Amino acid sequence: MTAAASPKLALHAVTQRFGETLALSPTDLAVRAGEFVSVVGPSGCGKSTMFNIIAGVLQPSGGRVLIDGRDVTGRAGEVGYMLQKDLLLPWRTVLDNIVLGALLKGKAGPKERAEGVALARRYGLGDFINHYPSALSGGMRQRAALMRTLAMHRDVLLLDEPFGALDSQTRFAMQQWLLSVWEREQRTIVFVTHDIDEAVFLSDRVVVMSPRPGRIREIIEVPIPRPRPVSALTSPLFSTIKQRIIDLIYENSPALEPAHV
Amino acid sequence: MSDRHALLLRLVYPLVALILVIAGWALAVDVFEIPRYVMPSPMDVANHIADDWPALVKGFGQTFMEFLLGFLAGAIAGFVFAVLMDASRPVRGILYPILITSQAIPIVAISAALTIWLGFGLAPKLVIVALVVFFPVVVNVLDGLASVDKDIINLVRSMGASRFSIFRHVKLPATYTPLFSALKLSATFSVTGAVIAEWTASTSGGIGAYLLQANSRLNTAGTFAAIVFLALLGLVSFLLVIAAEYWLTPWRSGSKARRWSSSYWKDETGG
Ligand SMILES: Nc1ncnc2c1ncn2[C@@H]1O[C@H](COP(=O)(O)OP(=O)(O)O)[C@@H](O)[C@H]1O
Ligand SMILES: [Mg+2]
Repeated sequence: MTAAASPKLALHAVTQRFGETLALSPTDLAVRAGEFVSVVGPSGCGKSTMFNIIAGVLQPSGGRVLIDGRDVTGRAGEVGYMLQKDLLLPWRTVLDNIVLGALLKGKAGPKERAEGVALARRYGLGDFINHYPSALSGGMRQRAALMRTLAMHRDVLLLDEPFGALDSQTRFAMQQWLLSVWEREQRTIVFVTHDIDEAVFLSDRVVVMSPRPGRIREIIEVPIPRPRPVSALTSPLFSTIKQRIIDLIYENSPALEPAHV
Repeated sequence: MSDRHALLLRLVYPLVALILVIAGWALAVDVFEIPRYVMPSPMDVANHIADDWPALVKGFGQTFMEFLLGFLAGAIAGFVFAVLMDASRPVRGILYPILITSQAIPIVAISAALTIWLGFGLAPKLVIVALVVFFPVVVNVLDGLASVDKDIINLVRSMGASRFSIFRHVKLPATYTPLFSALKLSATFSVTGAVIAEWTASTSGGIGAYLLQANSRLNTAGTFAAIVFLALLGLVSFLLVIAAEYWLTPWRSGSKARRWSSSYWKDETGG
């Protein structure tokens, strides 16, 4: 692992029990500043649980979450969080949704709103600032949701299957868009996905988790140079990494064919 | 604009319906030679309205006030009840039986009891009207509060929102749609409630009282005049709710924020 001495985000023995089930057995993870890390693994292996703990909406049964070395366990508002559902408020305009973080704290002044407008224009929603979310397509809604996350000004972004509900073409466009946003905004991203291609294409490292109990199985480096052209998807290195991840995920259930690849 | 066109059509259809009903009524009275004391012609009713205009308008105003104040009181009380019931399980447990019981007793019976307690003034009428609105509002607002996606609560909590902020920005607006469907349903029933209240406490003044009086004198033109005004009242009450809904829930009637709203970003230079 190449994490520096002081990682941006660190989990120390983070554990979650729900009654009898061990949703997340003691887990350690360190993410460097500016790194893009994906998390893959079958349903129920604790990915969302881990995110809820990092986001501070779930108090873990044990362990600590550190950001820049500060203990933020159980504290909300420290990271940007985005889910598969865009969760835009239908009664708010696109702009108000983007600045929701400030709005919730009663601090959505002209400065915050101007910043939201700039974000919307920079990333292709400039014509929809005053529209309600119902006027947006699925891809545009997810973009608005990501802008809402960006406008929180947090160094760490947690994206939980953000493109899972999109059709494959839109999803591919969104992946490239996300990479451009990430490169420009210099944030640290932890990204949950079911799509192994997506994980490899986007990430510096892929965390492979397995269920019962939920745990990190292995962490795979993705040494494909950036910027990554579309052709990277078919390179031998890409295939090797992908195969390794598939083996890890499916080795305990050889009867199952990989469904998402 | 097709928006305007659609609006015009929406006004034209009811107008055509109204004309058809009046024409059919006039024709029926004429063709079947129905005696005037059984069924007056539209012209008779119009004449009566013209003759007794001040009393009818005054009655309309009185019943309208009973409706409006009672309606607002009932809607607000219902809303507060729902919020309290949503916030606390014990409160819900205690209030639910009271709510159901309030619904099970016929309005007429309550109305009679209220005259004993509250006399013959405005108060018992307001309470009756309020009771009519109360139940649908509680049920629908409770529904709205319960239907808020748990993920969105989680999301805004992860953004550091306080409980109050979650209520104000997420839960409260989620109640508007079900709230207004309850208000639309109960608007016309509330007018009926006001009439019933005027009957039990048969004081002079409102259109309901006017109707009762005309009826007891076999004054059919007067009865029908009162019916016309009651229909008008029902219509006005419904339209008021529609108008309030239009102002308060702009996201349901358009794809963009309105220009004058505080949400509207006015600098159009780049977008
Ligand atoms: N609030 C909860 N209460 C009880 N069990 C839960 C709760 N949240 C998640 N779980 C359980 O924890 C396990 C991990 O869930 P989750 O983190 O959502 O998995 P993933 O996101 O990887 O699909 C699952 O077995 C799930 O049923
Ligand atoms: Mg999940």
